[in-house]
Amino acid sequence: MTNPFAILGLPESLLLDPAAIETSWREHHRESEAASAGDASDHNRARALLSDPISCLAAWLEVKAPAIAPDRSIPPALMDLFAKIGPVLARTDALLARHRQATTALARALLTKDCITAQLEVQALLQEIQPVKATFLDRFAAFEKAAEHEDFAAAAAALGPLKFLKKWEEQCRERLLALIAT
Amino acid sequence: MNDEIIIGIDLGTTHSLVGVVDSGFPIVLANEKGERLLPSCVTWPIGRDPLVGTEAMRARALAPARTVASIKRFMGRTFADLSIEERSEPPYRLVPGSRGEILVALDEKTLVSPEEVSAFILARLKETAEAALEMPVSRAVVTVPAYFNHSQREATRRAAELAGLTVERILNEPTAAALAYGLDRLGESATVAVYDLGGGTFDLSVLQLREGFFEVIATAGDTRLGGDDLDLALARFLAGELDLGVLSEPEEATLRMRAREAKEALSSEERVVVRLPFFRGESSYEVEITRERFEKLALPLIERTGPICRRAFAEAAEKGAAAVEKLILVGGSTRIPLVRTKLKEWLGLEPDLSQHPDEAVALGAAIQAGMLCGRVRQILLVDVTPLSLGIETFGGLMNVIIPRNSTIPVKAGELFTNAVDGQASMAIRVLQGERELAKDNWLLGEVTLPFTPGPKSSARVGVQFAINRDGILEVLARDTATGEDHVLEIRDAAVDVEDEAVERMISESIDYAFDDMNERIWTEAKFKSEELLPAVAGALEWVGDRLEEDERSAITTAAKRVREILEAETHDAAALKKANAALDEATQTLAALLVEAAFEG
Repeated sequence: MTNPFAILGLPESLLLDPAAIETSWREHHRESEAASAGDASDHNRARALLSDPISCLAAWLEVKAPAIAPDRSIPPALMDLFAKIGPVLARTDALLARHRQATTALARALLTKDCITAQLEVQALLQEIQPVKATFLDRFAAFEKAAEHEDFAAAAAALGPLKFLKKWEEQCRERLLALIAT
Repeated sequence: MNDEIIIGIDLGTTHSLVGVVDSGFPIVLANEKGERLLPSCVTWPIGRDPLVGTEAMRARALAPARTVASIKRFMGRTFADLSIEERSEPPYRLVPGSRGEILVALDEKTLVSPEEVSAFILARLKETAEAALEMPVSRAVVTVPAYFNHSQREATRRAAELAGLTVERILNEPTAAALAYGLDRLGESATVAVYDLGGGTFDLSVLQLREGFFEVIATAGDTRLGGDDLDLALARFLAGELDLGVLSEPEEATLRMRAREAKEALSSEERVVVRLPFFRGESSYEVEITRERFEKLALPLIERTGPICRRAFAEAAEKGAAAVEKLILVGGSTRIPLVRTKLKEWLGLEPDLSQHPDEAVALGAAIQAGMLCGRVRQILLVDVTPLSLGIETFGGLMNVIIPRNSTIPVKAGELFTNAVDGQASMAIRVLQGERELAKDNWLLGEVTLPFTPGPKSSARVGVQFAINRDGILEVLARDTATGEDHVLEIRDAAVDVEDEAVERMISESIDYAFDDMNERIWTEAKFKSEELLPAVAGALEWVGDRLEEDERSAITTAAKRVREILEAETHDAAALKKANAALDEATQTLAALLVEAAFEG
C-alpha cells in the first residue's frame, strides 16, 4: 500500500485529528471527481486506514520503520482476556446458528431470553477490551517521541496486542450487531 | 457538457420505471398509453412475439407457465441457492442450466435466463424513453437493491447490455431515493434513513449529508423479503378460507393477483371483498377480509424488517453518525399502514411521506444520470459495499479483505503463502458474505495460481480486490516471485458444478418433479413440525397462563392437528404444511408473550 499519509497530504503522525482526516479526504475526493481521473479508491482506503488508530499505527510503522516485523503471538498479558473471549464467542455463534435455523416465530421467541443473556455477556467483554486497548492508545504520544530518536521498539511491540484487541473487539461487535438483529 | 442523454432506470421486482432530467428537473417518462409504471412482467404467447408489461400481466392467469413476473428475485443466483419453497413459489417453472444457473422453462424446449427476461423489460423502457424524447438512447443508470451482491449486480449489467444499453452507473436504490428526496430540503448537515420495502427485497440505509457529500454510512437488508411475500401469505389464507384445496397453476395465478389487489386496497380501506367469478368451472367464490386480519398475516413478515433496521442504526451510530432525523419510505409495500405504525414504534420516527414511494428510485436514478451527462449540478455521492469480500483460507475460514460498509470505490490486498512443503499452486476462492465459515458465504469465483514448489511459507501470493463505483469486484492475484498476474473474471453467479451434480439437479427439477416434490415438501414440513411442537409445549408451560382460554384452545387444537397428520400412514405434504401454518399463526400471541417475558427477566 502506498503511504496513506502522503495520499491524503497529512503529516506522518499517530495523533491525527479525525476532523483533519475527513477534511483532507473530502478535498481529495472532490478533486478526483472533478478531474474524473484521480483514483478515489486510494483516498477511500487511506481514509479508512488513518481513521482507525490501529491500522494507522501499522501504516505509520510501515512508513517509518519498514524493517521491523510485528510480533504475531498473543502476549501473555492478554491471555486471560483471550481465554474469556473464545467461549463467549463460541456460545454466541451456536445461539445465532440456532436462531437462524429456527423457522417459526415461536421457536425464535423461545431463544429471546438466551439472546438477551448473550448480548449482556458480549457487552461485558467489550467493556473489558476497551480499557486494555486504551492503555496502549494512550502511549501513542510516547511512541512519536521515541521515534524522534529512531526508537520504534515500543510502538512495534504494541502493534501485535493492538491487532488482537482490534480483532476481538470487531468479533464482539459483529456478534452484538447480529444479536441486535435477532 | 455531454449532450448525449443518459436515462435513469428503476428495474423493480414488480414494476419498472424510466426517468430523465428535463430542463433541470427529474421526471418519470410515460409510455404511449400514459402509464409510468411498467409491470416487470414478460409473457411468451405461443407463435407470437413476447409481450411486456400490462399486456403480459393480463396473460398471467391464462398462461402462468409462460408468463414471468418478479424475475428480479432470481437475478444472479444459482439454482442450488434456492430453497424448495422458492423453487416452487413462482407459477412458472425454474430449472438449473448447465453451469448451475437458474433458467425459466417456458415449455419442454424453450429456456430463458433471468437476464433475458429483464432485458425485455429494459428494452421496453428504452423504447418508452426514445419515444418520449424523440431520440435514440443507449446509456443508462440502473438501480439495484443496496444488498445486491456482486453476481446480482453483474447480472443486471448483462441484462442492460442485452437490451442495447450501456450501464454508466449501477446505483443503490436507497441512495437514489435519498437523492430524489431532495438535498435542498435538508440542511447543511443531516442524517436520513431510507426504508425500502419493494416487491422482492428489503433494505435499510442510513445516509449522511455533510459539507456537500452525501455518504451512505450503513446499510443492511434481506434480499428475499418483499411485497410478493405478503401477496403469497394472503393468497394462501384466502385459499384456506375458501377451502379451495389443491390449486391449478392458472387458479393460483388468479388468486395471487386478487390477493395483491386486496392488499393494495386495504392500505386505504378497512375491509374489502375478494371476488373470484367462475374461478373453478361454473363456481364463483367471494370472501371478505378486514385490514385487521390482513395485518395479522402481514405482521410476521413486517417484523422481520425491525431487527435489520436496529442493526443498521446501531452500525451508523458506531461510525459516529448523528441521530437519524428523517425517515424516507420507498417501495409500494410501505403504503401498508402497519409498516408505518411499526416504524414509529421501533425507531421513534414519523416517516416522511412527501416522496412518491413508487417513483423516488427512478427519479434518483434520473438525477444521477443527469449529473453524469452534466444536466444537473454535481453532488458527491459516496456509497458503501453492503457485504464483506474475502477469500477462503486454510481450514475453510473466510478471510475478509474488504469489510462490509467500506466506502467504494476501494482497493485492498493481502499477501498469502503456501501452507505445506512442496505446494505447487494456490486455489483462490473469492467469497462474499458475513459468515466465518467459507462454505456459508457466496462463492463468487475461483482461480488456481501456480508457483514454483518450495518449502512451507516460501511462496508469496498477493491478492488484491478492487470494487468499483458500481459495487462490482475485480480480483488480481500475483506471484511476487515471478510478477505473474492472474485476473480473476467474476462475471457470473453460476460456478462450474460437476456434470453429475448438474444432471442430478436437472433430473430432480424436471423428470422427477412430480414424484419427488411431495416427499421433499413433506420432509421440509416435518422438520418445521418437529421444531414447532416442542416449542409450543415449552412456551405453554412458561407463559401459557397469560393466554386467554380461547387462544390456548386454538393452539392445542392446531397442535393436535399437526400431530395427527405427522402420525398418519400416508405423507400428505400439503396438509402438513397447512397445519403448520395454522399452528404458526395460532401461536403469534404466544410468541409475543415469550418475548415480553424474556425482557421482564
